[in-house]
Amino acid sequence: MDNKDIKAEDLVWIFGTGRSGSTWLASMMGELAGGLLWNEPLVGRLFGDFYDEILPRTRGRDTFIMAEANREAWLEGIRHLVLNVAESVCHELGTGGYLVVKEPNGSVGAPLIMEALPESRMILLVRDPRDVAASALDGHRKGSHAHERASSDPRKAGALAKNSPDNRPGAFLKRQANRYLRSVGNAKRAHDDHRGYKALVRYEDLRTETLETMRRLYRELDITVEEDDLARAVDKHAWENIPEEEKGPGKFNRKATPGGWREDLTQRQVETIEEITAPLLEEFYPV
Amino acid sequence: MAGLAENDSIKAENLVWIFGTGRGGSTWLASMMGELARRRFWDEPLVGKLFGDLYYSGAGTVQSDWDDFVYARKYRDAWLRSIRNFVLESASVRFAEVAENDYLIVKEPNGSIGAPLIMEALPESRMILLVRDPRDVVASNLNALGEEGWLAEQHRSAPRPGGDLARRNPDAAIKRRAKRYVENVRNAKDAFESHEGHKVLIRYEDLRADTLGTMKRLYSTLDISVKEEDLIRTVESYAWENIPEEEKGPGKFNRKATPGGWREDLTPEQARIIEESTALLIEEFYPSREQGNYG
Repeated sequence: MDNKDIKAEDLVWIFGTGRSGSTWLASMMGELAGGLLWNEPLVGRLFGDFYDEILPRTRGRDTFIMAEANREAWLEGIRHLVLNVAESVCHELGTGGYLVVKEPNGSVGAPLIMEALPESRMILLVRDPRDVAASALDGHRKGSHAHERASSDPRKAGALAKNSPDNRPGAFLKRQANRYLRSVGNAKRAHDDHRGYKALVRYEDLRTETLETMRRLYRELDITVEEDDLARAVDKHAWENIPEEEKGPGKFNRKATPGGWREDLTQRQVETIEEITAPLLEEFYPV
Repeated sequence: MAGLAENDSIKAENLVWIFGTGRGGSTWLASMMGELARRRFWDEPLVGKLFGDLYYSGAGTVQSDWDDFVYARKYRDAWLRSIRNFVLESASVRFAEVAENDYLIVKEPNGSIGAPLIMEALPESRMILLVRDPRDVVASNLNALGEEGWLAEQHRSAPRPGGDLARRNPDAAIKRRAKRYVENVRNAKDAFESHEGHKVLIRYEDLRADTLGTMKRLYSTLDISVKEEDLIRTVESYAWENIPEEEKGPGKFNRKATPGGWREDLTPEQARIIEESTALLIEEFYPSREQGNYG
């Protein structure tokens, strides 16, 4: 990759939602791309949150910066920003074939990003929303990894106390489910509309058939990888090779067990999540 | 899709930004200035909000040390260049008829959260910091959100969560509005202080009391030539007294334009809530003004 001229087709975006295996997938892919991994730039959130939250009457105003009438101009602006910063990131990282952009928490902006960079490759990574919510619930409890990280920063103290699942787990799960619906819903829309290379990966398939799923992913993205390199990357990042002391309840690497939500959530909690995420559950996890 | 050109038809130095806060008189000021700039007036693009929200929210403040963040400190030059490009390209597309040396007035009070980023990306631009007493700003906003208010009417046609807060819990709405005032005016003030180009601080109260004198000072400080007779005509044309009576009054966009009117509009407790939240800015911009119950 020429660091002075990064191309949109060299970017491989991973969209979906947090706690769905994106760190694992991105680590394997980054390994294969010579370490070229852009880890959660949140550029999707920058544009997606703003655009999503703006009132329809504001969007309809011609003077609005992201007005429909000037769509091409602001899409070029998004493209310019992504490629400009990506070029700086690559310059720091060195040369490689592709830049893997892990962006699950910026998925709200996936439709805008992919429209601005139609030559880019895209992965839609999905995971059962009940497992995603159960994982988030465990990670945000007092003493767990997300809680510890947040509590070390005084600027997050207010939000932490307000949103803690220890006080109101039901409200926490409801927020998580709504976030899932918004993130995965927008990522799916981007995937459906994208005309370039793309792959849909279910976390559950990646977990049970890692090597085969990775082969398919690269094939669908039209990226050549050596079989040996792929096998080595899969092995290196396998769940079984993570040290035992780095795994378990409250840790970032928790249980990696599809369907584990049956043990983790109450019936009422499950119903809440299923109700909110119904359209996506039906699509990706039909009964 | 082709890459953006670095040189667009609109020059950064010909953009005149109005930052401050909503309900601070920016529509009035921008209308006069737009008239003088032959109607080249960009009305609330919200580009400051676009780039400012994430940067100044929890995500930005917590993560700017993180090298992978799109707003990473390490790549500041790269993303500032892109913000500059975004603004100039958008302006050029919208105002294609603007000649090389024409000015474009950008009214952006509700995008003031991003004022520091915008002014850093466009250091040649001109900047106006328009301030108004926060108690009058909040009183005006509260009135607009009341049962018969023009903002409440908009909210009814496009409901959103918390849109009826002013009617359900006026004190909570006041607190929220005061917080937004601080967010916007504090960032606009930071941008103003750091900006090394042409800039001017305007108080709504001075603009109201001596419009012509204040406008003359504004143009001379910004180093923009205007003809005296054009200025007089424009000031006259947009004077409060010349707005038809049926377009003015409680609940209307043009409400009362009376500095200090908050004393009639707010309860002592409401004034205290605002003064508590905005104390530093009141002290900065209105040091000699009589306060309500606080301070």
